[in-house]
Amino acid sequence: MSGCPSFERKLQTFQKRSAQVDNGDDAQAGCNKATKGGTVYGEYLQLDKIVAAQLLQSERKGKKVHDEHLFIVTHQANELWFKQILWELDSVQQIFMKGHVRDERNMLKVVSRIQRIAMIFKLLVQQFMVLETMTAMDFFDFREYLASSSGTQSLQFRLLETKIGVPECQRVPYNRRHYRDSFQGKENEILLKSEQEPTLLQLVEKWLERTPGLEKDGFNFWEKLQANVEEGFRSETRKLDQKPKSEMKKEIMEDLQKRKMVFTSLFDEKCHNHLLSKGERRISYKALQGALMIYYYREEPRFQLPFQLLTSLMDIDAFMTKWRYSHVCMVHRMIGSKAGIGSSSGYHYLRSTLSDHYKVFVDFFNLATFLVPRSWVPRLNPSIHKFLVTAERYDSSYCSEDSD
Amino acid sequence: MSGCPYFGNSHLSSQTFHREEEDESQEGVNNASKGGIIYGDYLQLEKIVSAQVLQSELRGNKIHDEHLFIVTHQAYELWFKQILWELDSVRDIFISGHVRDERNMLKVVTRMHRIAMIFRLLVDQFAVLETMTALDFFDFREYLSPASGFQSLQFRLLENKIGVPDNQRVPYNRRHYRDNFRGQESEMLLCSEQEPTLLHLVEKWLERTPGLEENGFNFWGKLQKNIEDGLRLEKEKLEKKEESEEKEEMMAEHNKQREIFTALFDEKRHDHLLSKGERRLSYKALQGALMIYFYREEPRFQVPFQLLTFLMDIDTLMTKWRYNHVCMVHRMIGSKNGTGGSSGYHYLRSTVSDRYKVFVDLFNLATFLIPRDWVPKLNPTVHTFLYTAECCDSSYCSSEDSD
Repeated sequence: MSGCPSFERKLQTFQKRSAQVDNGDDAQAGCNKATKGGTVYGEYLQLDKIVAAQLLQSERKGKKVHDEHLFIVTHQANELWFKQILWELDSVQQIFMKGHVRDERNMLKVVSRIQRIAMIFKLLVQQFMVLETMTAMDFFDFREYLASSSGTQSLQFRLLETKIGVPECQRVPYNRRHYRDSFQGKENEILLKSEQEPTLLQLVEKWLERTPGLEKDGFNFWEKLQANVEEGFRSETRKLDQKPKSEMKKEIMEDLQKRKMVFTSLFDEKCHNHLLSKGERRISYKALQGALMIYYYREEPRFQLPFQLLTSLMDIDAFMTKWRYSHVCMVHRMIGSKAGIGSSSGYHYLRSTLSDHYKVFVDFFNLATFLVPRSWVPRLNPSIHKFLVTAERYDSSYCSEDSD
Repeated sequence: MSGCPYFGNSHLSSQTFHREEEDESQEGVNNASKGGIIYGDYLQLEKIVSAQVLQSELRGNKIHDEHLFIVTHQAYELWFKQILWELDSVRDIFISGHVRDERNMLKVVTRMHRIAMIFRLLVDQFAVLETMTALDFFDFREYLSPASGFQSLQFRLLENKIGVPDNQRVPYNRRHYRDNFRGQESEMLLCSEQEPTLLHLVEKWLERTPGLEENGFNFWGKLQKNIEDGLRLEKEKLEKKEESEEKEEMMAEHNKQREIFTALFDEKRHDHLLSKGERRLSYKALQGALMIYFYREEPRFQVPFQLLTFLMDIDTLMTKWRYNHVCMVHRMIGSKNGTGGSSGYHYLRSTVSDRYKVFVDLFNLATFLIPRDWVPKLNPTVHTFLYTAECCDSSYCSSEDSD
């Protein structure tokens, strides 16, 4: 650049090689800032901590087993991502708890972060394929050195479960002991605290109860729906009665009766509360109504993002279950039916955690039971029912600058 | 299990449990209470989970998405470490000569496959960072300068040890890539340039492929003869056909094929391309690779063939990684400069080229595929080398030396 001839010559060799690359000069534009000081990459990421944290127990005991390094790194990567999930989860929890969620300008932020959590879980499921390159024989070679260490001692995983909404009373006991018993002192306190704070499930429940359109003195969605459903069945029954007797008519009649029963239970608040107490349903009756309203009217502008939120919450449940299942399969392959490292029954314990007890937003999945023909959905009148196109904004609580 | 009638009523919704599962899932004893290393200590989590310090927060303007940016890069670096662990162990097996004992091949191939799987994960990982918008990135980007991926020591080590040659690298702001590093890091990089790379080791191994010996099976001599015979026959058949446009096209195609194979058997030409950096393996190594391709189903070549496949997988996945990175950078900063001061997008795009493809010769072998009946025939009673592996007891390192 300076006009110095020997520099130019060196430049030409570079340029000849870069000639094959069509971006030659563009690729070389710029200057190297690192020489000027400031935070460099390794310091910014505290790599001296991250990349020095792999200490093989097998090596310490004088019998280094190669594959132990993979085992360690895989778990550390999982824990890094657990931290990220907790970061996102806590921020969303704050938005709800502070009431900022009532300003609907915050919905994009909420939904983006919940979707991000789902993407991370998806990655964690994909991550199994790496550890699956380790054989059971290789694992056997160093397993003894892991003695008492086990995933049931992962504080972040438990925090994550609890904050999303896995209720303590639904947990499969681990060796007949409370899951929190795996933790001492400060960690135990942190866990206890997370059980006592509002979970994502609870916050979403309250939010659903506030769904516009539920108000009895307003749109009164639930009663309108019940009326429509009853009328719909009455009309179907009438049509069916008129048909000539046949085997097929009998089957259709039976099917109709079954469906009627399903909806009868839907409109039975006592039935819902009973299932709630058994832990088979997780959200309140009012919240269920709110969710169904969002499902039916998801294309209305005001409900589009709320609908995405419900979908992403189900994605999280789905990925967590897939994660648990991938984990079970791998454990089975690695240790068969022997006891797990923390000495639970390993495979059998893990398999028992695959149940719907651990599915937090199970009610959203079950809403599919109550889908109705479009014509049964209570009609909306845009000139009267303005709430569908008018979002709520409270300037004092909108937190765009306050990046939480 | 204790038989106590009152146990467990509060938290067992027993009706959803199968009885036998319930008992089995409760078997066992909680070992952690007996002492011994626990999970968090084993994984040194206090280091891992406390390593996220947001620059934006330090400057009093905490930006939420910076945490994701940090964690994503840390996860990458963790996996880079794992790749280096596997790579170094494989290189050692070659360097120490242990690879000559063919019982070590499973280990070699398994580890190369593992590296490929990790790269696959690293490509998938972009989907998570892609949940960050350019606007969110803009909010904290200013606090990052001059940190940049250029300063990732492990990434450079990885590239070098696999076989990206120094003289093929796109210069970074007209400076040597090593200039980004000081002291011990710079020395480590220099070492990695001077020590045998995976490419180099595989090359030597390919040159030793059984069947290449001129006074033995003489694969290359036989192949050349078969191809010449085959092409001659083809030409004779073609010439007998009636004149037509189709015949002309087929003749042109035939001549092209002839040219390709003439080039294949021209050692001087190969060496010329080698010096230009367009080919990377020696002529003999290329022969070994082609031999493994053609006879991959012979017992002795099955695992070697898998190795060549995984080496190409790694190249492919690295290219995909680079490309994904470019796309994301473009979305994040458009045509602005990178935080390290480079031209960012333009520089990165220039690295998505064959000059960074280490095992490019293996890909190009597909140019020289031939009909099965042109492949020199093997006679199992004569050519016993195809199912007789070499096991030099003194160098087999199965259990004791787990490297």
